[in-house]
Amino acid sequence: MGKKLPDKQGKYGEFGGIFAPETLMPPLDELEKKYGVISRQKSFKKEFSYLLSEYAGRPTSLYLAENLSRAAGCRVYLKREDLAFTGAHKINNTLGQVLLAARMGKKRIIAETGAGQHGVAAATASALFKMKCCVYMGEVDCERQKLNVYRMKLLGSEVIPVKSGSKTLKDAINEAMRDWIANFEDTHYVIGSVVGPHPYPEIVRDFQSVIGRETKRQVLQKEKRLPDYLIACVGGGSNSIGLFYPFYKDSKVRFIGVEAGGEGVNTDKHSATLIKGKKGVLHGTFSYVLQDKYGQIMPTHSVSAGLDYPGVGPEHSFYKETGRAEYVSADDRDALQSFHLLSEIEGIIPALESAHAVGWLIKNKKRFKKTDVVIVCLSGRGDKDVAEVASIENAL
Amino acid sequence: MNGIDAKFAELKKKGEKALIVYFTAGLPSPEKTVDIVKKAEKAGADIVELGIPFSDPIADGPVIQEASFRALELGINTDKVFGICAVLKNSVAIPYLLMTYYNPVYRYGLLKFAKKCAGTGVAGIIIPDLPWEESEEARESLKKYGIALIDFLTPFTPVKRAEKILKDAGGFVYLVTYAGVTGRQAAMPDKTLKALKKFRKMTDVPVSAGFGISTPEQVKKIRSSVDGVIVGSFLVKKIIDGKIEELWETIKNLKKELE
Ligand SMILES: Cc1ncc(COP(=O)(O)O)c(C=O)c1O
Repeated sequence: MGKKLPDKQGKYGEFGGIFAPETLMPPLDELEKKYGVISRQKSFKKEFSYLLSEYAGRPTSLYLAENLSRAAGCRVYLKREDLAFTGAHKINNTLGQVLLAARMGKKRIIAETGAGQHGVAAATASALFKMKCCVYMGEVDCERQKLNVYRMKLLGSEVIPVKSGSKTLKDAINEAMRDWIANFEDTHYVIGSVVGPHPYPEIVRDFQSVIGRETKRQVLQKEKRLPDYLIACVGGGSNSIGLFYPFYKDSKVRFIGVEAGGEGVNTDKHSATLIKGKKGVLHGTFSYVLQDKYGQIMPTHSVSAGLDYPGVGPEHSFYKETGRAEYVSADDRDALQSFHLLSEIEGIIPALESAHAVGWLIKNKKRFKKTDVVIVCLSGRGDKDVAEVASIENAL
Repeated sequence: MNGIDAKFAELKKKGEKALIVYFTAGLPSPEKTVDIVKKAEKAGADIVELGIPFSDPIADGPVIQEASFRALELGINTDKVFGICAVLKNSVAIPYLLMTYYNPVYRYGLLKFAKKCAGTGVAGIIIPDLPWEESEEARESLKKYGIALIDFLTPFTPVKRAEKILKDAGGFVYLVTYAGVTGRQAAMPDKTLKALKKFRKMTDVPVSAGFGISTPEQVKKIRSSVDGVIVGSFLVKKIIDGKIEELWETIKNLKKELE
């Protein structure tokens, strides 16, 4: 367990690496080298931590949710990423990456987005740094996350609806990559999760690790001990890795990643990549992928746009393979139920993504002892989902 | 000798450059693809690339994306493309290659894929998202069956990196003319011509330029700097638009500039 992750080739065991067109090899190399230098600079660290605290409102609280604890039969803390500026953990990554891009001399930011949270966070950081920003978003997602589309425009970003393929997150990533292939000289691609070719999974993990570092400090202060379980939803896997990674060597702390079960993992409408996928390459990295027997990427489904993705970060595949983390699923219904539950009993409207983590906990509460300290990453707030949930429920 | 090597040797003797044409396999139908390749050969194409459609073609522009999605909707898959190749084996003399992304090849099984290539007369394979660093396993598997793995270079590839790549290169080297995805009209800037000159000096493997080439004027401009040119989107667009009959004249005119 002592080995550095990733290794020099950007590998996490057999996963990760760089599977990208030749045109992207020089910019990826440049990014790796400059990230190595810039992220270690004192002035970078200082500015990044200043932005996280003064601009983004960190540290976010680790809140002992007593009512939820009663419902779940264990001691449940919520890591309140919903309180981070712009409403989700995504801001941690975009502030880091846009700051990095500015120091690399880039003039333009591109990003993909599913739920729109990463797009909004990228647009926000770009506005702050006076960078031009262009966000690719699947047409289907534009429709179900209208509010976020408008927010991005307000922030001065251009939103480009993607009409190809399944018109969701994966296609938005395709388009962003195509843009980057053509414009890498002055453009930085701010990828929104721990996916993509090396060094992206590492960069995003590092910037999101603030979640786990804070959590560790906070839980030690409150409980005088490490937690028993960390639970987080897994789309691409950034809020979960951000929470897990700083506890990687604390082998008694168990990691549970919750994927989107959609209409059920035994139907063809889900996004449970680690549970149902096979090894392969998508978006530049070797990881688990939802695909058919010919290696075509499969359409996915989840009620939450942010989890609706057929790939997953390579570090999660490594955690799965080595048994470091356990991956489970919560389906649409579990998520919708806990969306209501958390609103009603804690007064917290969670993002539908985060509601998967809560939903799994409630459904599996028998697994936990009363004394277990369980930390759930509440990766985002649910304002963006209110209209969508209302329309789903009106249709029932 | 691999069919690609033989072809380039033959062209060199005649003082010609290669015209390499790309079609998405199975569009508008497997039978039509066979027919298109046969007629392309007659019209003067020297080498054919057949694309196995992939759901997420990140190196491709709108035309080849659309062709890929359509082919997938028609039910084209890797086995059906090998079926097309099996027919071509007995009906054309020019070498043909497969072009696709890494996941379909990996999923099929590298050795199984290579063996299938050999059995159906496929001379080489082009995988745009498999850079040199990750290519060893695929290269070894293909080598066992005498199939070339075509490597890429771009005007942005540093010389040191090009040296590593060229040491392993076989068949031909695919020089991407510009930074971008397929199908944009390419201006052939000096940077591209310089890169071609530089890389050709570094290797005995033929260098072919592709991406955004569609007109005889473009071909004229780079003829002396290349061993071959690759034309894709422009031809695929005609197939999408139902103008297949225009292909032969187009191919003839392009080849004229390479004789
Ligand atoms: C609130 C929220 N949580 C979770 C996710 C899923 O992403 P990841 O798995 O990278 O944390 C998203 C993605 O959009 C999100 O908006």
